Amino acid sequence: MVRSNISTVINRSLVPVVNIVFLGLLLVAVTGQSQAAEWASLKGRFVFDGEPPAPVEITADKDVEVCGKHKLVNEELVVSDDKGIANVVLFVRSKGVTVHPDLEDGSKSDPLVLDNKDCRFQPHVGFVQTGQTLTIKNSDPVGHNSNIATMKNSPSNSLVPSNGSSDVTFSRDEAIPASVTCNIHPWMKAYLVIRPNPYGVVTAADGSFEIENLPVGEELEFQLWHEKGGYLDEFTLGGKKTSAKRGRIDFTVEEGGTDLGDIVVDGKVFN
Amino acid sequence: MNNVIACRSVTSTLVRTKTSNVLAVLCGICIPFLAAGCGQTPAASFRLNLVESSKQRLTSSQEQQVATILTALFGTPDEPLAPPEIGLDGAKLKLAAGPVRSDIVGRKNGLYREHCAHCHGVTGDGMGPTAAFLNPYPRDYRPGVFKFKSTERADKPTHDDLVMVLRNGLAGSSMPSFALLSDAKIEALAEYVKYLSIRGEVELALMRAYFELDDEDQGVLPQSREFLFEEIIDPVSEMWAVADDAVIDVPDMPSGLDMVASIAKGKELFYGNKANCVKCHGVSGLGDGQANDYDDWNKVVFQAHKTVEGAAEQAGKASTWEMSAEERDEYRGELAWLDRFETVLDGNALRPRTIRPRNLRQGVYRGGMRPLDLYYRIHAGINGAPMPAAKGTVPPEEIWDIVNYIRSLPYDFNGTLGADRPMVARDRM
Repeated sequence: MVRSNISTVINRSLVPVVNIVFLGLLLVAVTGQSQAAEWASLKGRFVFDGEPPAPVEITADKDVEVCGKHKLVNEELVVSDDKGIANVVLFVRSKGVTVHPDLEDGSKSDPLVLDNKDCRFQPHVGFVQTGQTLTIKNSDPVGHNSNIATMKNSPSNSLVPSNGSSDVTFSRDEAIPASVTCNIHPWMKAYLVIRPNPYGVVTAADGSFEIENLPVGEELEFQLWHEKGGYLDEFTLGGKKTSAKRGRIDFTVEEGGTDLGDIVVDGKVFN
Repeated sequence: MNNVIACRSVTSTLVRTKTSNVLAVLCGICIPFLAAGCGQTPAASFRLNLVESSKQRLTSSQEQQVATILTALFGTPDEPLAPPEIGLDGAKLKLAAGPVRSDIVGRKNGLYREHCAHCHGVTGDGMGPTAAFLNPYPRDYRPGVFKFKSTERADKPTHDDLVMVLRNGLAGSSMPSFALLSDAKIEALAEYVKYLSIRGEVELALMRAYFELDDEDQGVLPQSREFLFEEIIDPVSEMWAVADDAVIDVPDMPSGLDMVASIAKGKELFYGNKANCVKCHGVSGLGDGQANDYDDWNKVVFQAHKTVEGAAEQAGKASTWEMSAEERDEYRGELAWLDRFETVLDGNALRPRTIRPRNLRQGVYRGGMRPLDLYYRIHAGINGAPMPAAKGTVPPEEIWDIVNYIRSLPYDFNGTLGADRPMVARDRM
């Protein structure tokens, strides 16, 4: 009895939903394109509030003769001398975002290179658009493998021999950053943020970021993520305490670009 | 005697359901049976994937929604349904599902519960009553990941791959051969395994979808056909639909191959930095290289334990007197979630075990000992296990060299072959 009711609900709601979604898409497409004739960038810098913990050293117990030479540290939280937070991810979550015509097709963008270098992944966190090529390289004299734990895309795990490389593309976006690990060297870990649009960035070593070519005047929902801090939901922005539920926050880029200045995150968030 | 067993299973259901409001509904069904002296066992039900729902911090009403959608789409263990779009054979499912019974003389239904459920569980979660005593643990079908198959690493197994495992069993594990069953019965069971996998994958996708909802959805998944099929079901069923045509194209072993040279080449590759087999399978080939890694099924539980421990440590450091009323509520919510997650891990997951790379000196290979089976394992890697794919890195003729070397490992090989020099099986290690 219960079952038949539910399947009716599923069937009945089909037609109106399709119509509404379709109309909605049309509206977005029409109004969006006429609006965003201009493009500008959003920039800012993530700053650590408090005394950052000292980096924890990793003892390489595999391929010691090669990996033991490098001073390896745990890279979950990397804070620069002037307290910039590296590897914070910021991306546009809004599905209807107007995308710059040159950036629509991810396959036309330069590949993101993920290098196995000095027995660590470089970069530690990477941003890729669906369709864009991810090139996994190995600059080390020892062999690695790159085990990419995606949820919606087929997970992959390829051998990457010394000086070898392999290419991967993702057809679906992932809500949660996908981890990349090397089964041969268990301390190695990286993350990939895979999104359906080009608007995402990973903060540099000094905590700064810039997303270019965003549509001017469009209110966009962004999401903030950090490996250790999770979805950053509390920070100080422009001197004001700001909360962003599940790391989601709206910004509108103004003509000529918007500089958010320092986004200060309480160090306790990363405990 | 029957009454005792029935009573026991009812009590264990009660204990298990303590953790979930969804399953708590079942208690309502169980209690009358208790009162009636356990004259009848309750109808079998699918267990919710509570480890995932705890990980995703779903509320009890969200768990209820997942359970409702799953029942609408897939029915119950006694009456399985499958949306026609998925392309499963309803007649086969009927033969495999339900309690063990006979409706026509000579025909037996309920094959899954007769032959499989005691290890793999009614839900196919790999947690039947005997599971905890087996090493390796029985396969949990719900992530839809299978190890021994003829397709690329991330692809689903073909129907024939599943049939082969049922027919031959998995050497070196507790999975027996079901070769004594008729073809029709094996077909039905393979279909039912696919059904449980697809159901489990859809369940995971539903639970993960809450995270992506917008605020205006208020924590409720859309129940439109469009959402359910396009976002949740199609990505799963498409993978299964293409598997049968995605068998790896294996070139023949080069004809007139110099076997001694091939074995020597294979040995070089085994220890070399390109194929890198030695890193996990060890210098001696005994499987003692990398001993502290987990397979994907155990890793989920291992990481869940780590999450709980980490969060508990953080919670222990917090001082409630410094908190505002709102923060205190949030903190209490966090403690409640932690407490529940711990209980869930105790009752709904097996203790995580590390995975052992295969001991290649024994000549026992789970997925079959034919050269072709070994070729598939090396080419595609083993899905769900740390074993990576050599595809694209090691060319086919070199994969054959490694196969030949691997096949020489269980024997003392002094470098020459011939009728007067038989390879001698080593003592078992």
